[in-house]
Amino acid sequence: MTNAASIDIPESATAADYPPIPEPNALTEFFWEGVANHKLLILRCGACGKYIHYPRPICPNCLSMDDLAPEEVSGRGTIYSHTTTVQPFHPYYVDKVPYNLIIVALEEDEEVRITSNLIDYPNDDIRIGMPVQVTFEEVAPGLTLPLFKLA
Amino acid sequence: MSKRDRVAAIGVGYSTTGRRTGLTRRQLVAQAAKKAMEDCGISADQIDGVVLHAGVAGAEPPGLDFIDALDVAQMLGIMPISFYNSDQGGPAYIHAAISAIAAIQSGQAHTVLTVRVINQRLSSAQERDSVQGPMRIGGDSQFTMPFGSVTPIQTISALPAQRHMERYGTTEEQFGAHVISQRANAALNDDALMRDPLTMDDYLNSRFVSKPVRLLDCDYPVDSASAIIFTTEERAGDFAKKPVFVESAALSATDILPAGFEKVVDLNHNSPYHASELMWSRTDLKPADVDCAQLYDGFTIIVFQWLEALGFCGEGEAGSFVESGATRLGGSLPVNTDGGACNVGRRHGANFCIESVRQLRGNESGERQVKDAEVAVWANATGPFSGAVLMTKD
Ligand SMILES: [Zn+2]
Repeated sequence: MTNAASIDIPESATAADYPPIPEPNALTEFFWEGVANHKLLILRCGACGKYIHYPRPICPNCLSMDDLAPEEVSGRGTIYSHTTTVQPFHPYYVDKVPYNLIIVALEEDEEVRITSNLIDYPNDDIRIGMPVQVTFEEVAPGLTLPLFKLA
Repeated sequence: MSKRDRVAAIGVGYSTTGRRTGLTRRQLVAQAAKKAMEDCGISADQIDGVVLHAGVAGAEPPGLDFIDALDVAQMLGIMPISFYNSDQGGPAYIHAAISAIAAIQSGQAHTVLTVRVINQRLSSAQERDSVQGPMRIGGDSQFTMPFGSVTPIQTISALPAQRHMERYGTTEEQFGAHVISQRANAALNDDALMRDPLTMDDYLNSRFVSKPVRLLDCDYPVDSASAIIFTTEERAGDFAKKPVFVESAALSATDILPAGFEKVVDLNHNSPYHASELMWSRTDLKPADVDCAQLYDGFTIIVFQWLEALGFCGEGEAGSFVESGATRLGGSLPVNTDGGACNVGRRHGANFCIESVRQLRGNESGERQVKDAEVAVWANATGPFSGAVLMTKD
């Protein structure tokens, strides 16, 4: 799928230079455009108010299709679980292990769960329930991701 | 269900199973199917249905808007559901078994061969090093893989296990107690590939893959095919082995992977609970009637989830239940009496059906035979999709 929002990276880049790169499609383009502009946008149903993440063309709660729109959220949440990955499963992580992976339950709706990484904090001290705040980091040239810091 | 309408398992068989066997899927499937047919002395013309599960869910390449029945149900708010097809993922072997059972019950077929085949994946280092150039990732995985969430060891094992530990006080030693217990069972099983006894030190010294998950918490990747033949109660007595009956069966999906995984309540409480509730609603038997449980152990935490979901202990109590010795051979509920997939090799649920059949036949399990076993339960998969089957001797 050709897409204007496709993330541009240098032609010389190798698999060790980039984590798996999100390839937006018509449903998800808004999310990555938001991230590029340092906004966390979540699709929301205007008819019933439900947040819909990951993006879908229809509201699973009221089946509205025409009234769905991205909405900026606070970026605040709490850690729902976490792990520290020791073994690298992708070339990018060979020199980055151990690294943490967190699941954030979003403040606006704790059923919206976001997979990310916690930065500037020791892996061994991460605990469930810690309050976190989104931050936007360019992890590799041209690739910005929504990461989290302790709030 | 009247007794005459029950479905019976009559023949079981494994292919050659091992690391890098060099066997193709056709070879593996042919071996397992032939063994199952020979096991019960059935001929090809007595079988009128086949269900094969060969899928392995993977990340979506860019540009492909992958969709299957589970995506449809999730998108439209239809979850939870108790019937579906699934092109790639779904709960592996039990999906094939339940399709066969449903077909026989409805009269679509009278005798169905079910098969699960799976090839050992490349080692993680080989897979890692085979990545050519930056990887672009579409579908829902675009929201997880860029952060380094790249393996089920993280999503369906480490993250739920960590939550189980912090929420309920489950300990590493409790995970270890299960790993040691099922290895002891494997030592009594000629079909097992890993048979050396383990100590708690062995467990605690085994390396972390993604904390708190250790290498010894992960099932053992192999090439394997497994086959089980089901038939009607009416025909079940016509074959060489004593039939074992399906008392009740349930297939469940409550969400999808990876999007749905994250929404699982406490990351531990979802499809296995739904499947268990459905399975128990279709029988008069109760958890206390079960003599042995064969519970999917893709990762140790999944066994804990099933112990709780099936009602063998309370929610959050699997750690202390296992630590008490209840799940060892000779305990009140022996679990994974064949050694589990960590030791017999990854067969994606089929080994648990086969071990249930063997235990209930009553004369095929040697030293690991559960005394007077009359009722067995087996379960497969976890998180957003799973299934469970209760089987009886008579
Ligand atoms: Zn709605």
